[in-house]
Formats: sequence, C-alpha cells, structure tokens
Amino acid sequence: MKTILQIEDNLANKLLIERVLEPHPYRLLHAADGETGVALALDEKPDLILIDMGLPDIDGQTVVTLLKQIPDLENVPIVAVTAWPADTAEKMARRYGCDGCITKPIDVRQFPAKIAAFLEND
Amino acid sequence: MKIVPASDFSFEQLVDAYNQTRVDYVVPMPMNAARLQEYVRVYDVDLSRSVVALDGEVMLGLGLLGVRNGRSWITRLGVLPDGRRQGTGQALMDELLHQSDALTVDKVWLEVIKGNTPAHALFCKNGFTETRELIVARRAPNLKAEIPDDIHIKSVTPLDHEDAIILLSHRRKRPNWLNEIESFQHVKNLSALVVELLDGGRGWVTYHAGLLQLTRVSVEVTVGNPAEVTAAILHILHQRHKRQDTITENLLDDATWKGFKAAGYFEAFRRIEMKKPLVDS
Repeated sequence: MKTILQIEDNLANKLLIERVLEPHPYRLLHAADGETGVALALDEKPDLILIDMGLPDIDGQTVVTLLKQIPDLENVPIVAVTAWPADTAEKMARRYGCDGCITKPIDVRQFPAKIAAFLEND
Repeated sequence: MKIVPASDFSFEQLVDAYNQTRVDYVVPMPMNAARLQEYVRVYDVDLSRSVVALDGEVMLGLGLLGVRNGRSWITRLGVLPDGRRQGTGQALMDELLHQSDALTVDKVWLEVIKGNTPAHALFCKNGFTETRELIVARRAPNLKAEIPDDIHIKSVTPLDHEDAIILLSHRRKRPNWLNEIESFQHVKNLSALVVELLDGGRGWVTYHAGLLQLTRVSVEVTVGNPAEVTAAILHILHQRHKRQDTITENLLDDATWKGFKAAGYFEAFRRIEMKKPLVDS
C-alpha cells in the first residue's frame, strides 16, 4: 500500500483530502506544520508528499527545500497544494523543484486521478 | 460588538483568531504563536494599542498597531468569516486610528496585498492613499550556484551585526516599516558583505542567515550600474549560502529589482504601501 504524507495546517482541507482519498488504497499520514512534516517524512519515507505552501511554523517552500536535500527522500515526489493564484502557484512549485502543483479549492473529481498519476510516475 | 485591547489575550488566542481571518485570503500566511511573538517584537507592535473585536466572548476580528517615533503602522488586520459584513473591519480601523491619534503621530502607515480589493477599498475610505508598490520575492536554493564568469571580484569583506546596522543606516531610499532600521536593530545576528568589483562597481548586502532560510536581504549599490552590481552581490551571497531558501520582503520596484531577478529571485506577490497623515496631531 502506498503511503501519502499530507502536510497541511488547515483542518477542513486535511479532512477534505482524507475523504476524497478514502475509497482508494492509500495509507494517509498527516502533519499540521512543517517541523512535524519533516520528522514524519524522515520516519515514514512516504511515496508521495502533498504540501501546503502556507504553514504556520516554516514556509512550505523552505520545507520543500529541506526535504529535497535529504538523500533518503530525494526520489519522493512532492506536490504543492496551495491556495495561491494558479500562475504564481505553478511558478513557485517549479522553482522549488516540486513535482507538481494542485491549486485549492481542489477539484474533488479529478484529485484522485492526479494523485494516482504522481504515484505512478514515482 | 465591543473592541478590546489585544493585550487581553494570549499569543495562542491571537494567532488562532488571526489564522482564521486568513483561511480564504488571497495569499495564505498562517503563523504560530512563536512567529507572532517575534513579529510583535521586531516590528514594535504595541499590543495594548492593538485591538480585538468581540461579540460576547467570540472573536470577530483583530488588528495590530506598530508604534515608532512619530508614526504608527496598522498590520495583520483581519476579520474572521463569522464577523464579516457587519462593520467589523471599520470598527477595528476606527479604534486603531483613534489609538494613533492619541499617540499624536504624524502619519499612519499600512500595506495591503495587491488584489485584496475589499481591504484596499476600506483603507481608501478611511483616508489612506497609495505611496508605492512593494515586492515580496523568493529565491529557491541552488546547490550548484556559482559566480558567473563575467563577474570579476576585487574584494569581498564579511561584516558582523553591528557593522550591518551601520550600513543599513546609510540607505538612500526610504525603507518600508518592515525594513526600517528599528526592525533590523531587533533582529539578532545580521551579517553583511561589502563587495568591490574590478570594474569599479561597489555595494553591500545585509542579511540574516538561518539554518534553512536567508531572510532580510537588503542590497545597496554605492558605485556602478544598480542592476548589474546588485546581481553580482547576490551571486556572491548565494554562492556562500547554497542550501538556504531565500525570502525578502518589500523590495522597491526599481533598477535594483532587475538585479535581484538576474540572481534568480522571482516575485511571489506585491503589496501596496499606503499612508494617512493625521492632520490634527
């Protein structure tokens, strides 16, 4: 079973993603801030990381920067899930070496297929 | 609705309310209590003059007031979803302006994120006028960062915090509140590089180097083409700090910004700086 780590401080967004992915055979982990997210990523070595760029303790961009520099995690795809305007979000994701970008509010019908595609490319 | 001082609440309570004001914001900027505490300290926010709007025990909104010699600064003003469309924003503004008036400051400053039309309209209605646009920029780390071949360095002199503050006190353009000398004086462990190029270009950069992030990057060109010398200085900085993510706030949209872009920075978003003279003071 593939493991997905969601780093997201907003409870409503966390619950929405959990609900949308519930019918799918994934193990979902959650961290509500950047520091916990990095710790969980190191401990669990997930197959995919979904990260909100606006986190309360450390900027999402900085968390991505750190994760990308950890050899054990260098092949784990990281997808920015962000409320930034689409063009800014994509630019941000590309510059920080994310493997993709999904803007909020998420399209609940397309979201599982997008996640499956990121996991397939892994 | 009643308006009470923000100092009646803990940082945890304030940050919880603040984060709720930003849930659907144009640029999400959540904080935690430690970040808010640092913000209050560095930017001279006076919580006893900052305000919270309450309906009974329920927080509807909040606004912070920074106070420095002869001027005040409205920041982090926000209304929770449940407090909207009932005049909460105006009630917060009224009290923050009243507090500023009581301090006999000459001017009240604030910034609004470009594109936040309701907030901009509120500030215009309250007599604020635009002064300039400010850029919040980021630069992703580049582990392979090298200094381009066409940059010929004569000397690079690293300086410590005290010298960085001296350099910052000699800037030619008026800095925004976040980048005023008072803010930098509250930051620990600033660093600086003074750079001389073989073609005669000269300038300096001050910055704060954290473990993961470079912040508070400020560049001043003293001799030479502002864009080219800025780019050279920043290439030198990032060659020394390859692993860190960089964020720098409230840059002016001038020739120096071209140098930032040439060194790999990109615009995250813009703020509009606004001011209101308090004529009666």
